[in-house]
Amino acid sequence: MTTAERLTTFIQSELLSDSGAEIAPDDDLLLSGLIDSIGVMSLLAFIETDLGIHVPPQDVTIENFSTVETMDGYLAGRQDAVSDA
Amino acid sequence: MPALLSDIVDASAGRHPDRPAFRCGGSELTYAALADRTDRLAATLIGNGVRPGDRVGIRLRKSVETAVAVYGVMKAGAAFVPLDPALPPARLASILRDAGVRHLVTHDPLRQTLSAALDAGAEVDVVIGLSRPLEGVSTTVSWDEVTRAPSGPRPDRTPEDMAYLMYTSGSTGPPKGIVHTHRSGMAYARHAASVYGLRPEDRLSGFAPLHFDMSTFDYFSGPLAGAATVVIPEGYMLMPASLSALIEAERLTVWYSVPHALVSLLLRGVLDERDLTSIRWVLYGGEPFPVGHLRALMERWPHARFSNVYGPAEVNQCTYHHLPGPPASGETIPIGHVWEIAEGLVLDGDAVLSDGTVGELAIHAPTMMRGYWNRPDLDALAFYRRSSGGETHTFYRTGDLVRRDPDGTHWFIGRRDRQIKTRGYRVELDEVEAALLTHPGVAEAAVYAVPEADGSHAIHAAVVLRADSDATVEDLLTTAGDQVPRYALPVQTTLALDLPRTTSGKADRRALQQQALAAAAQPPLQ
Repeated sequence: MTTAERLTTFIQSELLSDSGAEIAPDDDLLLSGLIDSIGVMSLLAFIETDLGIHVPPQDVTIENFSTVETMDGYLAGRQDAVSDA
Repeated sequence: MPALLSDIVDASAGRHPDRPAFRCGGSELTYAALADRTDRLAATLIGNGVRPGDRVGIRLRKSVETAVAVYGVMKAGAAFVPLDPALPPARLASILRDAGVRHLVTHDPLRQTLSAALDAGAEVDVVIGLSRPLEGVSTTVSWDEVTRAPSGPRPDRTPEDMAYLMYTSGSTGPPKGIVHTHRSGMAYARHAASVYGLRPEDRLSGFAPLHFDMSTFDYFSGPLAGAATVVIPEGYMLMPASLSALIEAERLTVWYSVPHALVSLLLRGVLDERDLTSIRWVLYGGEPFPVGHLRALMERWPHARFSNVYGPAEVNQCTYHHLPGPPASGETIPIGHVWEIAEGLVLDGDAVLSDGTVGELAIHAPTMMRGYWNRPDLDALAFYRRSSGGETHTFYRTGDLVRRDPDGTHWFIGRRDRQIKTRGYRVELDEVEAALLTHPGVAEAAVYAVPEADGSHAIHAAVVLRADSDATVEDLLTTAGDQVPRYALPVQTTLALDLPRTTSGKADRRALQQQALAAAAQPPLQ
């Protein structure tokens, strides 16, 4: 599975389990109220432990986290930064 | 000084037409632009059948259109009804029916969920703000058409007329609407602007959503002073690093929110990287501020004064306490003095209690609601009439238990309806919560009662620890056990990453209670 698919699966199964909603890569998760503050923290924990990517607090922003697409782009950049080091 | 809330924008537009009135996500309306657009919306509403005294719903995401809707509806002679966009369709439909809303102002992102509410039995005739017609309503008008509409004459209104109708956020039981008049709203707007010395140079945080009563500060007091209100879009509540960047970029000077938003800023807002020295006032209210976090934030922002604000939506705001400096560990913050324009009593039933005794706070103030919408039964319970010196004053019973010191300082003890019986003992859940919060490792605590079959209650707690704490549940209960009796300690304590929130950002104790009830109803695993 790609990172985008893993994120989508996690969000749909763990964070939206009550509503049964499906999300598109460009759905704004923060604006639509789909994810709450507990959801944001679970998502960050998932990224750190399951995807193995550390996200520093200054990167937890609307630009990086509003959609699956922007998260995927941001995380790809983080992985490149780590593997270049 | 205008007498009607609806005249605030025109008055400020006359004094400084080119100053920003509202800003949100890259859009800005000056006072002149806001005066113009609200005239056109008022004319559109009147042209589509709105008559003086009507209730017009406002259902919008955070946007500058919210300000246009608030003042446009009032200019049309109607009262606005703020509606939480996140309400389930059936509940939205029930509020729209209760308020008799036939006209609604909205925008395209909320189109689908409005359809669902119409299917659930809402009877709306005219929808303003959608770019395409909506099935189930007779007329749809787009924002483009509103902007092009000619302005027209306005109906005469008086300060006693209803200006807005705000529904309480409780998730069970029939909705309860609070009627505020131009007089009560203006009394609040004027006094709050004066207590915090608002001036045209100020830039306010439009943090609270319109359906939360805190928003009256941002929507009424700010414009009355000719200040700018920077409406903060929904996503920022979840992304503290973006929120602190917005405060820096917008040079906000007056902040007002629930404590949770400030705690998030402190913990995850990367404050070391931001210059937030523009902030001169921090107002917080709605729930207690965990004192360790409050001290840490005050030490970080020595340039700002902090004010603990208290008041049920029925009276807008009614007490304040300006903190003299960062509080000591374990210190309790009072809700302070009753506003100079108000009078407070501490009651036990109809008996007035003396200082030092715990009782229910009752408030008589010009900021007080006219009453509940179509609920004389609730009015009879909520109002207390007292005669002195040949005059009869009406007080609102807040439902909050307080103690007053001889110097007039009030201490919040708990909600009257958060007083429960457990195994025959009377327990203040808010006191248990306060006891848990005295443990240095506790960032937040929510204590709630789970009803049991025998009429008793089990006390449960959800606790969020500070990131640097490795406290165990046992540790927490030991600390709390020093302050409350053993029977008042939670029988179940859960350590959580965060607490569920209402859309206003307060900890949602009812959601926790529902989860516990649902868990109890599950058959045990085989």
